[in-house]
Amino acid sequence: MIGDDGGEPAAATPAWATSIERRDHARRLKQTRPDPAAPRVLDVDHVTIELRGKTIVDDVSFFIPRGEFVCLCGPNGAGKSTLLKAVLGLLEPARGTIRIHGEAPARARHKVGYVPQRKGYNRDFPARPVELITAALRGRWPGHVTPEERERARAVLTRVGGARLLDQPLAGLSGGETQRVFLARALVTDPTLVILDEPTAGVDVAGRAELLELMAEISRSDELAAILVTHNLAAVAQTAERIVYLEGGRLIGWGLPDELLGQKSLTALAFAAADHARAPDEE
Amino acid sequence: MELFTEPLSFAFMQRALYAGLAVAVVCAVIGVFVVQRGRAFLGDGLAHACFGGIALGLYLGTDVEDAVWLAIPFTIAIALGIGFVLRSSHLRGDVATGVFFSFSFALGVLFLGLRSASARPVNVESLLFGSILSVSPQVLDVVLIVSAVALIVTLLLWSRLAYAIFDPELAAVSGVPVAALEYLLLAQTAAVIVVAVKTVGVVLVSSFIVIPAAAGRLLGATLARATVLAVVFGAAGVAVGLVASYHLDVPTGATIILTQCACFAVAFAVGRH
Repeated sequence: MIGDDGGEPAAATPAWATSIERRDHARRLKQTRPDPAAPRVLDVDHVTIELRGKTIVDDVSFFIPRGEFVCLCGPNGAGKSTLLKAVLGLLEPARGTIRIHGEAPARARHKVGYVPQRKGYNRDFPARPVELITAALRGRWPGHVTPEERERARAVLTRVGGARLLDQPLAGLSGGETQRVFLARALVTDPTLVILDEPTAGVDVAGRAELLELMAEISRSDELAAILVTHNLAAVAQTAERIVYLEGGRLIGWGLPDELLGQKSLTALAFAAADHARAPDEE
Repeated sequence: MELFTEPLSFAFMQRALYAGLAVAVVCAVIGVFVVQRGRAFLGDGLAHACFGGIALGLYLGTDVEDAVWLAIPFTIAIALGIGFVLRSSHLRGDVATGVFFSFSFALGVLFLGLRSASARPVNVESLLFGSILSVSPQVLDVVLIVSAVALIVTLLLWSRLAYAIFDPELAAVSGVPVAALEYLLLAQTAAVIVVAVKTVGVVLVSSFIVIPAAAGRLLGATLARATVLAVVFGAAGVAVGLVASYHLDVPTGATIILTQCACFAVAFAVGRH
């Protein structure tokens, strides 16, 4: 298993470091894994997930400390989306535990922001960003948006560069605009963990880098732990502090991007990207 | 003004108005979710399933009025069956509905055929096309109670139902019990359709679910506004259709549906501009 030995013993990381500075710091020290003593936002401990008697995720363990931006990679059928569903509290592991700030996912919902692949929502639904963002605040769809909720929605949309989208019909937005709205929705509850599931799917090539940079910037400035599920190799190399690489439901690699991308898993990632290009809406 | 007061001076017209308005309002509120979910065919399917339930009651010896008490649980069971198949397979909503629709309707015809030759003859035409003008005080009570319960439950759960229909996954992540709500919506739709069948019949009942909701959706920029508009169109269709049928001396159920269709046409024309 690549990076299985965890590299050299973890050295103390300065508290002031941004995520990118931490990554460079870790590179210098060849510190493959995050500091085990660091406070953990997400802790996936020997998790096995079975669906209809079939093992989809097999004994996977990793953790994400505060402020770390992690890419979850792997080819189609690797178990990425299934693992995400378990982290979101939508699936129960058959074995092992998932903890978010020490709590079960179902009890830690308010600490998690989620940007789904766009395909899930009902395109015919008469929705506007202001309502979608308010729904995240309330945990249910608003019949009426209060002035306070409206201001909060406007503020978070402004932060992601989408203030003008507040009252526009969601169905009329471009791919990039839609993802900005969903990012705002994920951020409005002030989460400490953000899950980004293929956030650039359906976004034009020019918009992808901008969107990823925006997400990385917010993660850095807010010290958010983030999981980015993507087939985009450029995003993995430029954005991730670490990579968690799954294949066939098993953890194949967990380490620094240049270390993993420089080894044989690069080939697998390239295949994953090719798979994704053929079937962009499938895992 | 006399145009409205004259027909409503008759008790049977008053009962028809109350039953029609109750059914129209609750069908419009539930219909917005059904239409938004892309399951417009569900109303038709459950109405035909209801026919099976009523026929079962007749086979067991009840009269048409009392058969509704058997038709409600029968139709709810069929609705839950549709929901179970939808959640357990990759079939689309209209396919599962079509299967259960055929099954229940065939059962209904079978039950009617199995009745003994001495059994009281049943006017199948009135079952299929309904008779809102012959709503008895007892039936009106059932219609009002079922409609009120379904309306209250739906309004209490409106914001969660709306979230689940916008995006089931996002709603579930926010802690909304999506599967339970889906089954509840199906069960409520079934119960409301059974009482609606008592007023407009099997064939026309889905119009109450689909047409006002579709018209409201054409003009409503938000789900809440679409719901309010659907209620207005549904209620207006009943009130205007009832009075118009009285003065024109034409079938009432059909006139109500045609009035709702006129509302849809107006909404479509206005929506295009």
